[in-house]
Amino acid sequence: MSVIDIIFRVDEICKRYDKYDIEKQRELNAYGDDVFARLYATVEADIDAAMGKADRAAKESKRAVTAALNAENRKTKARLMDEVTKLQKLARKKVKGLSKEEQAIRADLVLALPERIQAIPDGTTTGADQGGGWGGSASHKNITFDTSEENLNDDFFQQSEESSQFRQEHERRKLKQACKDEGLDVISDGLDTLKNLAHDMGEELDRQVPLMDEIDTKVDRANSELRNTNVRLKQTITSLRSSRNFCIDIILLCVILGIASYIYKYVCVLYLNSLTYFLLPLLAVFHLLSCLANTYLFCTCCSILQG
Amino acid sequence: MSSDPDKLVAKADKLTKLTLTRWSADWRNATLNYEQAANAYRVAKKYEKSKDAFEKASKGQEMLSSPWDAAKHMESAAALAKELGNWNEVADLYRRASELYVECGRAQPASDALGKAARVVEDHLPDVAVQLYTDAISLLEEDDKDQMAFDLYRALTAVHIKLEKYTDAAAALLRLGLAADKSNATNSQFKAYLGAIIVYLYAHDVKAAEKCYNDCSQIPAFLGSDQGRCGSRLISAYSEGAVEEIKRLAQSSTISHLDHAIIKLGRKLPTGEVTAVKAGTEEGEGLDENDLT
Repeated sequence: MSVIDIIFRVDEICKRYDKYDIEKQRELNAYGDDVFARLYATVEADIDAAMGKADRAAKESKRAVTAALNAENRKTKARLMDEVTKLQKLARKKVKGLSKEEQAIRADLVLALPERIQAIPDGTTTGADQGGGWGGSASHKNITFDTSEENLNDDFFQQSEESSQFRQEHERRKLKQACKDEGLDVISDGLDTLKNLAHDMGEELDRQVPLMDEIDTKVDRANSELRNTNVRLKQTITSLRSSRNFCIDIILLCVILGIASYIYKYVCVLYLNSLTYFLLPLLAVFHLLSCLANTYLFCTCCSILQG
Repeated sequence: MSSDPDKLVAKADKLTKLTLTRWSADWRNATLNYEQAANAYRVAKKYEKSKDAFEKASKGQEMLSSPWDAAKHMESAAALAKELGNWNEVADLYRRASELYVECGRAQPASDALGKAARVVEDHLPDVAVQLYTDAISLLEEDDKDQMAFDLYRALTAVHIKLEKYTDAAAALLRLGLAADKSNATNSQFKAYLGAIIVYLYAHDVKAAEKCYNDCSQIPAFLGSDQGRCGSRLISAYSEGAVEEIKRLAQSSTISHLDHAIIKLGRKLPTGEVTAVKAGTEEGEGLDENDLT
Protein backbone atom coordinates (compact mmCIF):
# COMPACT_ATOMS: atom_id res chain seq x y z
CA MET A 1 0.00 0.00 0.00
CA SER A 2 1.44 3.39 -0.93
CA VAL A 3 1.65 6.32 1.39
CA ILE A 4 -1.11 8.19 -0.45
CA ASP A 5 -3.55 5.34 0.08
CA ILE A 6 -2.76 5.28 3.74
CA ILE A 7 -3.34 8.99 4.00
CA PHE A 8 -6.71 8.79 2.25
CA ARG A 9 -7.84 5.93 4.40
CA VAL A 10 -6.83 7.73 7.58
CA ASP A 11 -8.74 10.83 6.43
CA GLU A 12 -11.87 8.78 5.77
CA ILE A 13 -11.70 7.13 9.16
CA CYS A 14 -11.18 10.48 10.87
CA LYS A 15 -14.16 11.98 9.05
CA ARG A 16 -16.38 9.09 10.09
CA TYR A 17 -15.39 9.34 13.71
CA ASP A 18 -15.40 13.16 13.83
CA LYS A 19 -18.57 13.16 15.82
CA TYR A 20 -16.70 11.50 18.66
CA ASP A 21 -14.00 14.13 18.67
CA ILE A 22 -14.89 16.26 21.66
CA GLU A 23 -12.74 19.19 20.71
CA LYS A 24 -14.13 19.47 17.22
CA GLN A 25 -17.71 19.16 18.41
CA ARG A 26 -17.05 21.79 20.96
CA GLU A 27 -15.76 24.10 18.23
CA LEU A 28 -18.72 23.42 15.95
CA ASN A 29 -21.23 23.91 18.71
CA ALA A 30 -19.66 27.04 19.99
CA TYR A 31 -20.28 29.01 16.78
CA GLY A 32 -23.62 30.60 16.23
CA ASP A 33 -25.23 30.25 19.61
CA ASP A 34 -24.31 32.91 21.98
CA VAL A 35 -21.43 35.20 22.66
CA PHE A 36 -20.53 33.51 25.92
CA ALA A 37 -19.85 30.10 24.44
CA ARG A 38 -17.82 31.56 21.61
CA LEU A 39 -15.69 33.66 23.91
CA TYR A 40 -15.27 30.80 26.31
CA ALA A 41 -14.12 28.52 23.51
CA THR A 42 -11.54 31.06 22.39
CA VAL A 43 -10.29 31.51 25.95
CA GLU A 44 -10.01 27.75 26.32
CA ALA A 45 -8.05 27.46 23.10
CA ASP A 46 -5.72 30.23 24.23
CA ILE A 47 -5.13 28.55 27.59
CA ASP A 48 -4.30 25.29 25.86
CA ALA A 49 -1.92 26.99 23.49
CA ALA A 50 -0.22 28.72 26.39
CA MET A 51 0.11 25.42 28.20
CA GLY A 52 1.68 23.88 25.12
CA LYS A 53 4.16 26.74 24.99
CA ALA A 54 4.94 26.31 28.66
CA ASP A 55 5.67 22.62 28.07
CA ARG A 56 8.02 23.48 25.26
CA ALA A 57 9.68 26.15 27.37
CA ALA A 58 10.26 23.66 30.19
CA LYS A 59 11.84 21.17 27.78
CA GLU A 60 13.84 23.73 25.83
CA SER A 61 17.52 24.06 26.51
CA LYS A 62 18.25 27.36 24.77
CA ARG A 63 17.70 30.29 27.15
CA ALA A 64 16.62 32.68 24.41
CA VAL A 65 13.83 30.44 23.20
CA THR A 66 12.70 29.77 26.77
CA ALA A 67 12.64 33.47 27.52
CA ALA A 68 10.66 34.23 24.37
CA LEU A 69 8.10 31.55 25.11
CA ASN A 70 7.78 32.71 28.69
CA ALA A 71 7.25 36.30 27.56
CA GLU A 72 4.53 35.19 25.16
CA ASN A 73 2.84 33.28 27.93
CA ARG A 74 2.93 36.31 30.18
CA LYS A 75 1.29 38.43 27.49
CA THR A 76 -1.35 35.80 26.86
CA LYS A 77 -2.11 35.59 30.55
CA ALA A 78 -2.62 39.32 30.84
CA ARG A 79 -4.92 39.30 27.84
CA LEU A 80 -6.88 36.34 29.12
CA MET A 81 -7.48 38.04 32.47
CA ASP A 82 -9.22 40.85 30.57
CA GLU A 83 -11.29 38.33 28.67
CA VAL A 84 -12.29 36.72 31.94
CA THR A 85 -13.84 39.96 33.18
CA LYS A 86 -15.86 40.12 29.97
CA LEU A 87 -16.89 36.51 30.39
CA GLN A 88 -18.05 37.20 33.91
CA LYS A 89 -20.35 39.92 32.66
CA LEU A 90 -21.66 37.73 29.87
CA ALA A 91 -22.21 34.82 32.22
CA ARG A 92 -24.40 36.97 34.42
CA LYS A 93 -26.60 37.90 31.46
CA LYS A 94 -29.71 35.87 30.91
CA VAL A 95 -29.84 34.18 27.56
CA LYS A 96 -33.02 32.55 26.30
CA GLY A 97 -32.86 28.78 25.94
CA LEU A 98 -30.49 28.26 28.81
CA SER A 99 -31.67 26.52 31.93
CA LYS A 100 -30.88 27.83 35.40
CA GLU A 101 -28.42 25.00 36.01
CA GLU A 102 -26.49 25.77 32.88
CA GLN A 103 -26.38 29.38 33.95
CA ALA A 104 -24.89 28.33 37.26
CA ILE A 105 -22.41 26.05 35.53
CA ARG A 106 -21.33 28.94 33.36
CA ALA A 107 -20.76 31.11 36.37
CA ASP A 108 -18.64 28.40 37.96
CA LEU A 109 -16.62 27.95 34.78
CA VAL A 110 -15.87 31.63 34.63
CA LEU A 111 -14.86 31.67 38.26
CA ALA A 112 -12.46 28.82 37.68
CA LEU A 113 -10.84 30.48 34.71
CA PRO A 114 -8.66 33.04 36.50
CA GLU A 115 -6.91 30.37 38.50
CA ARG A 116 -6.32 28.30 35.42
CA ILE A 117 -4.87 31.30 33.66
CA GLN A 118 -2.56 32.14 36.52
CA ALA A 119 -1.46 28.56 36.66
CA ILE A 120 0.09 28.73 33.20
CA PRO A 121 3.82 28.74 33.90
CA ASP A 122 5.68 31.67 32.40
CA GLY A 123 8.97 31.52 34.22
CA THR A 124 8.03 33.95 37.00
CA THR A 125 5.19 32.24 38.80
CA THR A 126 5.99 30.93 42.27
CA GLY A 127 4.97 27.48 43.26
CA ALA A 128 3.12 28.51 46.42
CA ASP A 129 0.19 30.21 44.67
CA GLN A 130 -0.84 27.22 42.71
CA GLY A 131 -2.36 25.18 45.49
CA GLY A 132 -6.14 25.34 45.45
CA GLY A 133 -8.64 26.45 42.92
CA TRP A 134 -8.64 23.41 40.73
CA GLY A 135 -11.86 22.00 42.12
CA GLY A 136 -14.32 24.13 40.19
CA SER A 137 -12.95 23.19 36.82
CA ALA A 138 -13.50 19.50 37.28
CA SER A 139 -16.87 19.45 35.49
CA HIS A 140 -15.75 20.09 31.89
CA LYS A 141 -12.76 19.07 29.81
CA ASN A 142 -11.26 16.68 32.25
CA ILE A 143 -8.82 15.22 29.77
CA THR A 144 -6.78 18.32 29.07
CA PHE A 145 -6.91 19.48 32.66
CA ASP A 146 -5.33 16.35 34.05
CA THR A 147 -2.32 16.50 31.78
CA SER A 148 -1.63 20.17 32.54
CA GLU A 149 -2.07 19.52 36.21
CA GLU A 150 0.56 16.84 36.07
CA ASN A 151 2.96 19.18 34.34
CA LEU A 152 2.38 21.87 36.88
CA ASN A 153 2.98 19.45 39.70
CA ASP A 154 6.42 18.76 38.29
CA ASP A 155 7.15 22.47 37.95
CA PHE A 156 5.80 23.05 41.40
CA PHE A 157 8.47 20.86 42.95
CA GLN A 158 11.21 22.33 40.84
CA GLN A 159 10.48 25.95 41.57
CA SER A 160 9.78 25.74 45.26
CA GLU A 161 13.48 26.05 46.06
CA GLU A 162 13.99 29.32 44.23
CA SER A 163 10.53 30.69 44.94
CA SER A 164 11.62 33.69 46.97
CA GLN A 165 14.09 34.83 44.33
CA PHE A 166 11.48 34.52 41.64
CA ARG A 167 9.00 36.47 43.70
CA GLN A 168 11.45 39.35 44.07
CA GLU A 169 12.25 39.31 40.39
CA HIS A 170 8.52 39.29 39.63
CA GLU A 171 7.96 42.39 41.76
CA ARG A 172 10.90 44.21 40.21
CA ARG A 173 9.74 43.38 36.70
CA LYS A 174 6.24 44.56 37.54
CA LEU A 175 7.58 47.96 38.64
CA LYS A 176 9.75 48.28 35.55
CA GLN A 177 6.83 47.34 33.40
CA ALA A 178 4.70 50.01 35.06
CA CYS A 179 7.31 52.67 34.33
CA LYS A 180 7.66 51.45 30.77
CA ASP A 181 3.91 51.52 30.37
CA GLU A 182 3.75 55.14 31.47
CA GLY A 183 6.51 56.04 29.06
CA LEU A 184 4.78 54.18 26.29
CA ASP A 185 1.55 56.00 27.07
CA VAL A 186 3.25 59.34 26.71
CA ILE A 187 4.81 58.24 23.46
CA SER A 188 1.49 57.00 22.16
CA ASP A 189 -0.20 60.31 22.96
CA GLY A 190 2.54 62.17 21.15
CA LEU A 191 2.18 59.90 18.14
CA ASP A 192 -1.57 60.47 18.12
CA THR A 193 -1.05 64.20 17.98
CA LEU A 194 1.51 63.81 15.21
CA LYS A 195 -0.81 61.64 13.20
CA ASN A 196 -3.62 64.13 13.56
CA LEU A 197 -1.37 67.00 12.53
CA ALA A 198 -0.10 65.06 9.55
CA HIS A 199 -3.63 64.26 8.40
CA ASP A 200 -4.72 67.86 8.71
CA MET A 201 -1.68 69.09 6.85
CA GLY A 202 -2.35 66.62 4.10
CA GLU A 203 -5.93 67.84 3.74
CA GLU A 204 -4.84 71.46 3.70
CA LEU A 205 -2.37 70.74 0.92
CA ASP A 206 -5.06 68.92 -1.03
CA ARG A 207 -7.23 71.99 -0.65
CA GLN A 208 -4.57 74.30 -1.98
CA VAL A 209 -3.60 72.28 -5.05
CA PRO A 210 -6.46 73.48 -7.28
CA LEU A 211 -5.91 77.05 -6.09
CA MET A 212 -2.29 76.84 -7.15
CA ASP A 213 -3.31 75.54 -10.55
CA GLU A 214 -5.63 78.52 -11.00
CA ILE A 215 -2.89 80.91 -9.99
CA ASP A 216 -0.58 79.20 -12.45
CA THR A 217 -2.90 79.72 -15.43
CA LYS A 218 -3.65 83.31 -14.49
CA VAL A 219 0.01 84.19 -14.04
CA ASP A 220 0.88 82.59 -17.35
CA ARG A 221 -1.73 84.69 -19.08
CA ALA A 222 -0.56 87.87 -17.40
CA ASN A 223 3.03 87.01 -18.31
CA SER A 224 2.29 86.66 -22.01
CA GLU A 225 0.24 89.86 -22.06
CA LEU A 226 3.06 91.72 -20.36
CA ARG A 227 5.56 90.46 -22.90
CA ASN A 228 3.36 91.59 -25.76
CA THR A 229 2.97 95.01 -24.22
CA ASN A 230 6.71 95.31 -23.68
CA VAL A 231 7.49 94.54 -27.30
CA ARG A 232 4.98 97.04 -28.57
CA LEU A 233 6.30 99.70 -26.22
CA LYS A 234 9.82 99.07 -27.36
CA GLN A 235 8.75 99.46 -30.96
CA THR A 236 6.98 102.74 -30.25
CA ILE A 237 9.92 104.19 -28.38
CA THR A 238 12.44 103.25 -31.03
CA SER A 239 10.25 104.80 -33.69
CA LEU A 240 10.04 107.99 -31.72
CA ARG A 241 13.68 108.28 -30.93
CA SER A 242 15.22 107.09 -34.23
CA SER A 243 18.27 109.03 -35.28
CA ARG A 244 16.55 110.78 -38.19
CA ASN A 245 13.91 112.31 -35.97
CA PHE A 246 16.49 113.19 -33.39
CA CYS A 247 18.42 115.29 -35.93
CA ILE A 248 15.25 117.10 -36.95
CA ASP A 249 14.64 117.85 -33.24
CA ILE A 250 18.08 119.37 -32.83
CA ILE A 251 17.88 121.46 -36.01
CA LEU A 252 14.51 122.92 -35.10
CA LEU A 253 15.74 123.73 -31.59
CA CYS A 254 18.73 125.58 -32.99
CA VAL A 255 16.51 127.54 -35.34
CA ILE A 256 14.21 128.55 -32.50
CA LEU A 257 17.14 129.61 -30.34
CA GLY A 258 18.61 131.68 -33.17
CA ILE A 259 15.36 133.46 -33.77
CA ALA A 260 14.91 134.05 -30.06
CA SER A 261 18.37 135.62 -29.73
CA TYR A 262 17.73 137.80 -32.79
CA ILE A 263 14.39 138.99 -31.43
CA TYR A 264 15.97 139.62 -28.05
CA LYS A 265 18.58 141.87 -29.63
CA TYR A 266 15.89 143.56 -31.66
CA VAL A 267 13.66 144.05 -28.60
CA CYS A 268 16.48 145.58 -26.58
CA VAL A 269 17.15 148.13 -29.29
CA LEU A 270 13.48 148.91 -29.79
CA TYR A 271 12.68 149.09 -26.10
CA LEU A 272 15.03 152.02 -25.78
CA ASN A 273 12.92 153.94 -28.36
CA SER A 274 9.29 153.35 -27.51
CA LEU A 275 6.94 150.95 -25.83
CA THR A 276 4.21 150.86 -28.48
CA TYR A 277 6.51 149.37 -31.03
CA PHE A 278 7.39 146.76 -28.45
CA LEU A 279 4.13 144.94 -28.61
CA LEU A 280 3.94 144.34 -32.37
CA PRO A 281 7.25 142.54 -32.70
CA LEU A 282 6.38 140.54 -29.64
CA LEU A 283 3.24 139.35 -31.31
CA ALA A 284 5.21 138.54 -34.41
CA VAL A 285 7.67 136.53 -32.35
CA PHE A 286 4.93 134.54 -30.72
CA HIS A 287 3.32 133.88 -34.08
CA LEU A 288 6.60 132.62 -35.46
CA LEU A 289 7.23 130.40 -32.48
CA SER A 290 3.79 128.85 -32.69
CA CYS A 291 4.28 128.15 -36.40
CA LEU A 292 7.58 126.47 -35.66
CA ALA A 293 6.01 124.42 -32.88
CA ASN A 294 3.24 123.33 -35.20
CA THR A 295 5.67 122.23 -37.87
CA TYR A 296 7.66 120.35 -35.28
CA LEU A 297 4.59 118.56 -34.02
CA PHE A 298 3.56 117.80 -37.56
CA CYS A 299 6.91 116.19 -38.22
CA THR A 300 6.72 113.99 -35.11
CA CYS A 301 3.19 112.92 -35.93
CA CYS A 302 4.26 111.93 -39.38
CA SER A 303 7.12 109.89 -38.00
CA ILE A 304 4.83 108.11 -35.50
CA LEU A 305 2.37 107.29 -38.24
CA GLN A 306 5.14 106.01 -40.38
CA GLY A 307 6.72 103.90 -37.72
CA MET B 1 -8.98 118.86 -6.35
CA SER B 2 -9.98 120.01 -2.91
CA SER B 3 -9.14 117.57 -0.21
CA ASP B 4 -12.05 118.54 1.97
CA PRO B 5 -14.32 115.53 1.94
CA ASP B 6 -17.52 117.52 2.36
CA LYS B 7 -16.75 119.56 -0.68
CA LEU B 8 -15.88 116.45 -2.65
CA VAL B 9 -19.14 114.81 -1.74
CA ALA B 10 -21.07 117.94 -2.65
CA LYS B 11 -19.32 118.13 -5.98
CA ALA B 12 -19.95 114.49 -6.71
CA ASP B 13 -23.60 114.87 -5.81
CA LYS B 14 -23.87 117.75 -8.20
CA LEU B 15 -22.29 115.68 -10.93
CA THR B 16 -24.79 112.91 -10.51
CA LYS B 17 -27.94 114.95 -10.16
CA LEU B 18 -29.76 115.37 -13.43
CA THR B 19 -30.86 118.94 -14.15
CA LEU B 20 -31.78 120.94 -17.17
CA THR B 21 -28.18 121.69 -17.96
CA ARG B 22 -26.92 118.18 -17.26
CA TRP B 23 -28.69 115.45 -19.16
CA SER B 24 -26.48 112.53 -18.23
CA ALA B 25 -24.68 111.97 -14.97
CA ASP B 26 -20.90 111.93 -15.05
CA TRP B 27 -20.41 108.80 -13.02
CA ARG B 28 -16.68 108.49 -13.53
CA ASN B 29 -15.73 111.74 -11.91
CA ALA B 30 -18.45 111.37 -9.33
CA THR B 31 -17.17 107.96 -8.30
CA LEU B 32 -13.64 109.30 -8.08
CA ASN B 33 -14.84 112.09 -5.81
CA TYR B 34 -16.85 109.74 -3.68
CA GLU B 35 -13.88 107.42 -3.20
CA GLN B 36 -11.59 110.26 -2.19
CA ALA B 37 -14.18 111.64 0.19
CA ALA B 38 -14.75 108.23 1.75
CA ASN B 39 -11.06 107.70 2.38
CA ALA B 40 -10.72 111.16 3.85
CA TYR B 41 -13.67 110.55 6.18
CA ARG B 42 -12.22 107.22 7.25
CA VAL B 43 -8.93 108.83 8.16
CA ALA B 44 -10.81 111.51 10.07
CA LYS B 45 -12.74 108.71 11.81
CA LYS B 46 -16.13 110.03 10.69
CA TYR B 47 -17.48 106.54 10.17
CA GLU B 48 -21.06 107.39 9.36
CA LYS B 49 -20.12 109.79 6.58
CA SER B 50 -17.42 107.46 5.30
CA LYS B 51 -19.89 104.62 5.12
CA ASP B 52 -22.35 106.74 3.12
CA ALA B 53 -19.60 107.86 0.78
CA PHE B 54 -18.52 104.27 0.18
CA GLU B 55 -22.08 103.26 -0.57
CA LYS B 56 -22.40 106.01 -3.11
CA ALA B 57 -19.02 105.11 -4.62
CA SER B 58 -20.18 101.54 -4.92
CA LYS B 59 -23.31 102.65 -6.74
CA GLY B 60 -21.14 104.73 -9.05
CA GLN B 61 -18.97 101.74 -9.87
CA GLU B 62 -22.08 99.76 -10.59
CA MET B 63 -23.17 102.39 -13.06
CA LEU B 64 -19.74 102.16 -14.63
CA SER B 65 -20.43 98.41 -14.90
CA SER B 66 -17.52 97.23 -12.83
CA PRO B 67 -19.22 95.07 -10.21
CA TRP B 68 -15.87 94.04 -8.72
CA ASP B 69 -15.01 97.56 -7.59
CA ALA B 70 -18.58 98.09 -6.49
CA ALA B 71 -18.39 94.98 -4.33
CA LYS B 72 -15.09 96.11 -2.83
CA HIS B 73 -16.57 99.47 -1.87
CA MET B 74 -19.60 97.77 -0.40
CA GLU B 75 -17.32 95.65 1.75
CA SER B 76 -15.49 98.72 2.99
CA ALA B 77 -18.83 100.31 3.82
CA ALA B 78 -19.83 97.18 5.73
CA ALA B 79 -16.57 97.22 7.70
CA LEU B 80 -17.31 100.80 8.73
CA ALA B 81 -20.84 99.87 9.69
CA LYS B 82 -19.27 97.27 11.95
CA GLU B 83 -17.33 100.07 13.68
CA LEU B 84 -20.60 101.89 14.15
CA GLY B 85 -22.32 98.81 15.50
CA ASN B 86 -25.35 98.68 13.19
CA TRP B 87 -25.52 94.94 12.96
CA ASN B 88 -28.48 94.76 10.64
CA GLU B 89 -26.87 97.20 8.31
CA VAL B 90 -23.63 95.22 8.39
CA ALA B 91 -25.47 92.09 7.34
CA ASP B 92 -27.29 93.95 4.54
CA LEU B 93 -24.17 95.58 3.19
CA TYR B 94 -22.23 92.36 3.17
CA ARG B 95 -25.11 90.61 1.44
CA ARG B 96 -25.14 93.29 -1.23
CA ALA B 97 -21.38 92.92 -1.65
CA SER B 98 -21.75 89.17 -1.98
CA GLU B 99 -24.40 89.59 -4.68
CA LEU B 100 -22.08 91.88 -6.60
CA TYR B 101 -19.30 89.32 -6.36
CA VAL B 102 -21.65 86.68 -7.71
CA GLU B 103 -22.36 89.04 -10.60
CA CYS B 104 -18.64 89.03 -11.32
CA GLY B 105 -18.85 85.26 -11.29
CA ARG B 106 -16.47 84.85 -8.38
CA ALA B 107 -18.06 82.60 -5.79
CA GLN B 108 -15.12 82.50 -3.40
CA PRO B 109 -15.07 86.21 -2.52
CA ALA B 110 -18.86 86.17 -2.33
CA SER B 111 -18.80 83.41 0.23
CA ASP B 112 -15.94 85.14 2.04
CA ALA B 113 -18.03 88.29 2.33
CA LEU B 114 -20.94 86.35 3.83
CA GLY B 115 -18.56 84.54 6.14
CA LYS B 116 -17.12 87.81 7.38
CA ALA B 117 -20.61 89.13 7.94
CA ALA B 118 -21.62 86.07 9.90
CA ARG B 119 -18.52 86.26 12.06
CA VAL B 120 -19.23 89.88 12.87
CA VAL B 121 -22.88 89.43 13.82
CA GLU B 122 -22.75 86.01 15.44
CA ASP B 123 -22.43 87.51 18.91
CA HIS B 124 -25.34 89.90 18.47
CA LEU B 125 -27.70 88.31 15.95
CA PRO B 126 -27.00 84.57 16.03
CA ASP B 127 -29.99 83.62 13.87
CA VAL B 128 -28.91 86.01 11.17
CA ALA B 129 -25.42 84.55 11.47
CA VAL B 130 -26.80 81.05 10.95
CA GLN B 131 -28.58 82.20 7.82
CA LEU B 132 -25.45 83.91 6.51
CA TYR B 133 -23.30 80.85 7.11
CA THR B 134 -25.79 78.60 5.36
CA ASP B 135 -25.89 80.90 2.36
CA ALA B 136 -22.10 81.08 2.24
CA ILE B 137 -21.85 77.30 2.34
CA SER B 138 -24.42 76.84 -0.42
CA LEU B 139 -22.55 79.36 -2.60
CA LEU B 140 -19.37 77.31 -2.33
CA GLU B 141 -21.09 73.99 -2.80
CA GLU B 142 -22.76 75.19 -6.00
CA ASP B 143 -19.33 76.05 -7.28
CA ASP B 144 -17.91 72.64 -6.30
CA LYS B 145 -15.49 74.13 -3.84
CA ASP B 146 -16.45 71.96 -0.92
CA GLN B 147 -13.12 72.03 0.81
CA MET B 148 -13.35 75.76 1.44
CA ALA B 149 -16.64 75.17 3.16
CA PHE B 150 -15.16 73.17 6.04
CA ASP B 151 -14.29 76.23 8.09
CA LEU B 152 -17.76 77.63 7.53
CA TYR B 153 -19.34 74.38 8.67
CA ARG B 154 -17.25 74.40 11.81
CA ALA B 155 -18.20 77.96 12.58
CA LEU B 156 -21.86 77.15 11.96
CA THR B 157 -21.64 74.22 14.37
CA ALA B 158 -20.09 76.47 16.99
CA VAL B 159 -22.95 78.94 16.64
CA HIS B 160 -25.55 76.19 16.98
CA ILE B 161 -23.83 74.83 20.05
CA LYS B 162 -23.81 78.30 21.56
CA LEU B 163 -27.51 78.55 20.88
CA GLU B 164 -27.86 75.09 22.46
CA LYS B 165 -29.57 73.72 19.37
CA TYR B 166 -27.83 70.38 19.48
CA THR B 167 -29.79 68.64 16.75
CA ASP B 168 -28.95 71.47 14.38
CA ALA B 169 -25.31 71.29 15.40
CA ALA B 170 -25.20 67.54 14.80
CA ALA B 171 -26.94 68.01 11.45
CA ALA B 172 -24.35 70.60 10.45
CA LEU B 173 -21.57 68.20 11.43
CA LEU B 174 -23.11 65.44 9.34
CA ARG B 175 -23.30 67.79 6.37
CA LEU B 176 -19.65 68.56 6.95
CA GLY B 177 -18.99 64.84 6.85
CA LEU B 178 -20.81 64.63 3.54
CA ALA B 179 -18.80 67.51 2.06
CA ALA B 180 -15.59 65.93 3.29
CA ASP B 181 -16.63 62.66 1.73
CA LYS B 182 -17.09 64.36 -1.63
CA SER B 183 -13.63 65.82 -1.52
CA ASN B 184 -12.01 62.69 -0.06
CA ALA B 185 -10.94 64.32 3.17
CA THR B 186 -11.37 61.22 5.31
CA ASN B 187 -9.82 62.59 8.49
CA SER B 188 -12.13 65.57 8.60
CA GLN B 189 -15.05 63.33 7.75
CA PHE B 190 -14.43 60.94 10.62
CA LYS B 191 -13.80 63.78 13.03
CA ALA B 192 -17.11 65.31 11.98
CA TYR B 193 -18.94 62.04 12.60
CA LEU B 194 -17.38 61.57 16.00
CA GLY B 195 -18.29 65.17 16.80
CA ALA B 196 -21.91 64.52 15.84
CA ILE B 197 -22.03 61.46 18.10
CA ILE B 198 -20.62 63.49 20.99
CA VAL B 199 -23.15 66.28 20.41
CA TYR B 200 -26.01 63.79 20.56
CA LEU B 201 -24.60 62.25 23.73
CA TYR B 202 -24.22 65.67 25.29
CA ALA B 203 -27.87 66.36 24.54
CA HIS B 204 -28.42 63.04 26.32
CA ASP B 205 -30.08 61.52 23.29
CA VAL B 206 -28.37 58.13 23.46
CA LYS B 207 -30.72 56.57 20.91
CA ALA B 208 -29.95 59.24 18.36
CA ALA B 209 -26.26 58.84 19.06
CA GLU B 210 -26.49 55.12 18.48
CA LYS B 211 -28.46 55.62 15.31
CA CYS B 212 -25.92 58.16 14.16
CA TYR B 213 -23.10 55.74 14.90
CA ASN B 214 -24.82 52.98 12.97
CA ASP B 215 -25.41 55.26 10.02
CA CYS B 216 -21.80 56.31 9.98
CA SER B 217 -20.64 52.72 10.31
CA GLN B 218 -22.00 52.12 6.84
CA ILE B 219 -18.67 53.46 5.74
CA PRO B 220 -16.25 50.62 6.47
CA ALA B 221 -13.27 52.90 6.82
CA PHE B 222 -14.96 54.73 9.68
CA LEU B 223 -15.37 51.52 11.67
CA GLY B 224 -11.68 50.78 11.58
CA SER B 225 -10.54 54.32 12.19
CA ASP B 226 -9.47 55.84 15.48
CA GLN B 227 -12.56 57.99 15.66
CA GLY B 228 -14.87 55.08 14.90
CA ARG B 229 -13.37 52.98 17.64
CA CYS B 230 -13.64 55.84 20.10
CA GLY B 231 -17.28 56.34 19.10
CA SER B 232 -18.11 52.67 19.55
CA ARG B 233 -16.42 52.64 22.94
CA LEU B 234 -18.39 55.69 23.99
CA ILE B 235 -21.68 54.16 22.90
CA SER B 236 -20.94 50.87 24.65
CA ALA B 237 -19.82 52.72 27.78
CA TYR B 238 -23.11 54.62 27.75
CA SER B 239 -25.14 51.46 27.29
CA GLU B 240 -23.25 49.75 30.11
CA GLY B 241 -23.46 52.80 32.32
CA ALA B 242 -19.73 52.92 33.06
CA VAL B 243 -19.31 56.55 34.07
CA GLU B 244 -15.58 56.24 34.70
CA GLU B 245 -15.11 54.71 31.28
CA ILE B 246 -16.96 57.63 29.72
CA LYS B 247 -14.85 60.12 31.64
CA ARG B 248 -11.66 58.32 30.68
CA LEU B 249 -12.64 58.25 27.02
CA ALA B 250 -13.51 61.94 27.12
CA GLN B 251 -9.95 62.71 28.20
CA SER B 252 -8.45 60.56 25.47
CA SER B 253 -6.33 62.04 22.74
CA THR B 254 -8.77 61.20 19.95
CA ILE B 255 -11.33 63.62 21.30
CA SER B 256 -8.69 66.24 22.03
CA HIS B 257 -8.05 66.52 18.31
CA LEU B 258 -11.57 67.57 17.48
CA ASP B 259 -12.96 71.07 17.25
CA HIS B 260 -12.71 73.25 20.36
CA ALA B 261 -16.43 73.55 20.90
CA ILE B 262 -16.80 69.79 20.72
CA ILE B 263 -13.89 69.19 23.09
CA LYS B 264 -15.68 71.38 25.62
CA LEU B 265 -18.82 69.30 25.22
CA GLY B 266 -16.86 66.09 25.46
CA ARG B 267 -15.17 67.06 28.70
CA LYS B 268 -18.59 67.67 30.23
CA LEU B 269 -19.83 64.17 29.39
CA PRO B 270 -21.72 62.35 30.80
CA THR B 271 -24.69 64.64 31.27
CA GLY B 272 -27.40 63.37 33.50
CA GLU B 273 -27.88 59.84 34.73
CA VAL B 274 -26.45 57.06 32.65
CA THR B 275 -28.88 54.17 33.09
CA ALA B 276 -27.19 50.87 32.38
CA VAL B 277 -29.98 48.53 33.43
CA LYS B 278 -32.44 49.89 30.95
CA ALA B 279 -29.90 49.56 28.20
CA GLY B 280 -29.14 45.99 29.35
CA THR B 281 -32.72 44.77 28.95
CA GLU B 282 -32.98 46.56 25.64
CA GLU B 283 -29.93 44.71 24.43
CA GLY B 284 -31.48 41.44 25.58
CA GLU B 285 -34.56 42.13 23.49
CA GLY B 286 -32.34 43.00 20.61
CA LEU B 287 -30.69 39.60 20.81
CA ASP B 288 -34.08 37.90 20.83
CA GLU B 289 -35.12 39.72 17.69
CA ASN B 290 -31.95 38.57 16.02
CA ASP B 291 -32.67 34.97 16.99
CA LEU B 292 -36.16 35.12 15.56
CA THR B 293 -35.00 36.43 12.19
